[in-house]
Amino acid sequence: MTAAQHRPLAERERQEATVTAVPARASRRLTGMRARRLVVFIGLCLVGITTVYPLIFMALNSMRTAQAYEVSPYGLPTHYNLNNFRALFAQVPFLASVLHSIIVVVPAVILATLFSALAAYVFTKVPIKLGNALFWLMLMIMFMPGIVVLIPLYVEIGHLGLASNFAPAILIYTAISIPYGTYLLRSIFRAIPDAVVEAARVDGAHWLKIFFRVMLPMGRAGVMTVGILTFLNVWNELFISVVLLHTSSTEMMTPTLAQLSGRYSNNIPVIMTGLLLGSIPTLLVYFVTARVFIRGMLSGAIR
Amino acid sequence: MQDRQERLDHKARRIRWNLFPYLAVLPAAALIIILMVAPIGETIYRSFTNWDGLTSNFIGLTNFRLIFSNPVTTQVLLNSVIFLISVPLILIASVLVAVLVYERVLGWRVFRFLFFIPAVLSPVIVGALFSTFFLPAGLVDKALSPIGLSNYPWLSHPWTARVVVILALVWTSFGFGMVVVLSALSTIDPALYDAAAIDGASWWRRLRSITMPMISGSLQFLSVINVIYTFTSLFSFVYVITAGGPGFATTTVDYFTYLTTFENGQFGYGAALAVLLFVIVLLLTIVQLRLFPKREVQGS
Repeated sequence: MTAAQHRPLAERERQEATVTAVPARASRRLTGMRARRLVVFIGLCLVGITTVYPLIFMALNSMRTAQAYEVSPYGLPTHYNLNNFRALFAQVPFLASVLHSIIVVVPAVILATLFSALAAYVFTKVPIKLGNALFWLMLMIMFMPGIVVLIPLYVEIGHLGLASNFAPAILIYTAISIPYGTYLLRSIFRAIPDAVVEAARVDGAHWLKIFFRVMLPMGRAGVMTVGILTFLNVWNELFISVVLLHTSSTEMMTPTLAQLSGRYSNNIPVIMTGLLLGSIPTLLVYFVTARVFIRGMLSGAIR
Repeated sequence: MQDRQERLDHKARRIRWNLFPYLAVLPAAALIIILMVAPIGETIYRSFTNWDGLTSNFIGLTNFRLIFSNPVTTQVLLNSVIFLISVPLILIASVLVAVLVYERVLGWRVFRFLFFIPAVLSPVIVGALFSTFFLPAGLVDKALSPIGLSNYPWLSHPWTARVVVILALVWTSFGFGMVVVLSALSTIDPALYDAAAIDGASWWRRLRSITMPMISGSLQFLSVINVIYTFTSLFSFVYVITAGGPGFATTTVDYFTYLTTFENGQFGYGAALAVLLFVIVLLLTIVQLRLFPKREVQGS
């Protein structure tokens, strides 16, 4: 084992360069290092297979018939067909459920990110009475079990006749996402120097202008990371959507997917088709934003 | 005249400045108070009643007495404790993967990207995938056929069903853990490793004496959120993979509370279970915050 463990790239490259320059003295060490790096690489490949193979499994089997799956669920399909997609769209209100999810999730994510950012702006840059109390309240309920609030909310929503209305779900998802969002954005906004805000204020900028022109642009990567995390949490969530929107005319995507397994227990390709389509929105968001998102998380935007 | 106008302007601006922070926190505060704080209060109140959604009578501690005298609820509480096995597994997997990625071998950025994929999939999708892979004669049985498990009904036996849920949990959680650990690793000064190497410290010694203490704050954070997650958010996994079975072997507190409240309509009893769950989560969080040594120098 060498000293190169856990060391930044540039430094290690420098060391390797030196090693190459003096082959006679360091060749044994170099071989040892190469062998170790090979072991690490193979280890990473094995873990990588477990995270990628399920996606391939879903994709390949979405194009197989149930009979072909019985014969061989692995390997490439001999015939490609799209009957599973047709079955899913014709027999299950799958597309409608995706639409319902979009109707609920998009406003909830935007509102939650905006309201969290506004609160975090005040908590970090404009001390107010009870500000600390409000922040501690948020910390206390940040990881509170959703069911604690959902029992009375479910009953109240029923009393108000809003059982098959999207608005309560949007607001509840927004409220439940605010504490974590505020907590994360508070640490991001704290890194923006007070002097910048003060300078804008002296220039006569309106507070909303400071928020939109200074805070949001300067904390852009962090704000995006929080928005993406909120999207992933809300889009993937099952419990609230099962409880609140349980009629078929409002059902969201995750409950629809959850019921596929029971309904098509003899036709796994149809289930895989649903899972594949269900994972595309989050995968797409992740693939497209990965650069900013991963950097944002690494810079400490998640704790 | 002009001077006075300016003073008025200045005053108006000061008022706006004094008012704006309250306006800015208003949406967040209102939503949290109306949709979270008030419902928590109502749930606590209803936990002392026999509420069925319409009528409710105060019955004191009867619900809580029922919870602790019912063998099913004690089994369910025990299940949630059993599922805590996933927490150390998640921590180990996260540290291991993060340390491997931090070696920066060929393609490490790609690996880091790929390892987060399970974290962006819904627990519903992960659960459905795992239940498919663990079907009798499914993918796992096929892989294990050399050791004679070609047709094992994983989800029909209590312990193997729990193993499937725990594996699904570890698989979805290690990506997030890896990122948190990587973020902590990047704050360690490489000079520490150089100094240790000069002193002849072994790889294992460096891991134990430098890396682990430096990431202990992150591990505490991961431990706290994963313990909370185990108690409050296994609903989706259990709903999809086992529906709580066989029997009540994989029914967790949150899933049981859901069944009691929304399937059986026992809102008062459900509220008592929810309150108990909340108290357990709070206690476990406090215990963990005390338990972990505070040694980390905060990077951010």
